[in-house]
Amino acid sequence: MKVTLGDETREVRIESGAAVIGDRRVEFSATGAGERIETLRVGGEPVAVRIVRDRDRVFVWCSGEAFEFRRSGARAPRPGESAGGLSAPMPGRIRRVVASEGSRVARGDVILILEAMKMEHAIRATADGVVARICHSEGDLVDAGTALAEIR
Amino acid sequence: MIRRLLIANRGEIAVRVARTAAEMGIEPVAVHSEADAGSFHVRRIGRAVSLGAGSPRETYLSIPRILAAARESGADAIHPGYGFLSESAELARAVEEAGIVWVGPPPAAIEQMGDKVSARRRAKRAGVPVVPGTNGAESSDQELLRKSKELGFPLLVKPSAGGGGKGMAVVENAAALPAAIEQSRRVAEAAFGDGHVYLEKLLERPRHVEFQVFGDRQGNVVHLCERECSVQRRHQKVVEETPSAALDARLRGAMGRAAAEVARGVGYVGAGTVEFLLDEKRNFYFLEMNTRLQVEHPITEETLGIDLVRAQLEVAAGEALPSSWRAGKLVPRGHAIELRLYAEDPETFLPRSGRILAWETPKGPGLRVDAGVAEGSEVGLDYDPLLAKLIAFAEDRPAAIARARRALEEWVVLGVETNHDLLRAVLASGEFESGDYSVDLVSHLPARERPKAPDAAWVAAALAFSGPAPRAGAASPAVAEPWDASTGWRAGE
Repeated sequence: MKVTLGDETREVRIESGAAVIGDRRVEFSATGAGERIETLRVGGEPVAVRIVRDRDRVFVWCSGEAFEFRRSGARAPRPGESAGGLSAPMPGRIRRVVASEGSRVARGDVILILEAMKMEHAIRATADGVVARICHSEGDLVDAGTALAEIR
Repeated sequence: MIRRLLIANRGEIAVRVARTAAEMGIEPVAVHSEADAGSFHVRRIGRAVSLGAGSPRETYLSIPRILAAARESGADAIHPGYGFLSESAELARAVEEAGIVWVGPPPAAIEQMGDKVSARRRAKRAGVPVVPGTNGAESSDQELLRKSKELGFPLLVKPSAGGGGKGMAVVENAAALPAAIEQSRRVAEAAFGDGHVYLEKLLERPRHVEFQVFGDRQGNVVHLCERECSVQRRHQKVVEETPSAALDARLRGAMGRAAAEVARGVGYVGAGTVEFLLDEKRNFYFLEMNTRLQVEHPITEETLGIDLVRAQLEVAAGEALPSSWRAGKLVPRGHAIELRLYAEDPETFLPRSGRILAWETPKGPGLRVDAGVAEGSEVGLDYDPLLAKLIAFAEDRPAAIARARRALEEWVVLGVETNHDLLRAVLASGEFESGDYSVDLVSHLPARERPKAPDAAWVAAALAFSGPAPRAGAASPAVAEPWDASTGWRAGE
């Protein structure tokens, strides 16, 4: 199966006594099954892990770090950085539209200001280009992930 | 004597206040918005009154609803916690007029310190230096522009009302000032209903050091030493410690006396905090006073071995401060560090929401966790994203840092992104370890790359995906810790 972590997708397969991760074979032993793993040894060493599965996501706590794996091959777009477009990082209200459609902007320029959590957040261009579309007007309420503007 | 205490707040601080109340034989009563009915503080406290449906403004920030909740529950006192209405003179006054005990300073003191321009005037009058800036008499943008040339750049535009860094802007030159003033006014108007702003000279690499102060109705005012709060991001504190590596006994004494003078000048009663900036030449300047309990109050409690909430409740009931406090016999011991765990995007610091699927707090000697969530808690975007505070206490600073690092390794949080990596990076930085740091510490941290997952994490993920799919919505946690294993290893399974 294909498992994705951040930017990285690997083909992962469980065989008897080993996991094949990409082109590497990692020996392991475990008691329990699925996410209900009781104990885990990898390469002979015991590992403290905590695993929670939530449908197509698996959260793993390992060596003091949290990792969120996804089963689908596609990497979930991070808020505010979907290709070419800008989306709302959190629900809020469009406070001010700074750039106008058709104007040329440079990476880092403020396109509009979103008010959320009683703070103003500048939504900035993620690349140089031309503002092709501003999707909302001042005062509009938007949900997290809503497209705000498009830059080409 | 207080018998039933309404806690007009939510999250970790509501739970923390309720704990002390219970120890004093006072019955705590929680409040909650409709959306919060099943939240951790309500379950933990037990007795609870609904504030109805609606936004924070219509619930936790609604004075009529808080008063109605107090009446409905038969509470004879109200503790506001921090944030929300804790610095509302209007609520303080309404509570007192209703014949209910207000666990906080007198309304007039809140007003005098709530407006930062008037607070600066008060501090000056008490003989305490303030950061050079405007005095609030300049109302028009033109006047502010003229004054800015006298002060010089860089400078800060700050709203007179409010706090938490909201609406604050750093301005590098005169050309950028009008836009900054406009933005600051707009934020202040939206957040605090008051668009007044003032200018303050920006100190180079200052430290943010605050002093806990405490007053009683008998006229005693004492200081309870400092908290070093320079580790900040977006002008908000992330890690605090006490004592501060920047202070020696002489400077501590001078700043502590100044803090107590500021509080005495406004007839302060209860717990308060006087914030200072300390420059590289060890000059200190009054910044502002917070007329409430601070988020980071536990580090003071740990090093002094006291309970600030207990003292708040005793003073509110008319008792004098403990005689040992008045006699200056409280001596700090050891070192305490607080880490604030926020639900936030590790890169942008923006708040994140989600459900906490796994939650195991660190344990062991010298640790305290003040949490506002538990496994299964929903973290929404309507409220402060603070999940919990970890306080590590040890005999000296290196031991406290080592303890905090160990505790952070143990802290299991799954389901919601947090600033866990940032906290690790702060504790790992040589600058923090040296104790010689200022408010720009976070900006010096090495770029935080997403940690690479070890093989074991990939194996665990593969195993979890291979198993039967969990029932919809029922994420069932699995624990696999070698030291918990009751069964032997089954090699090669």
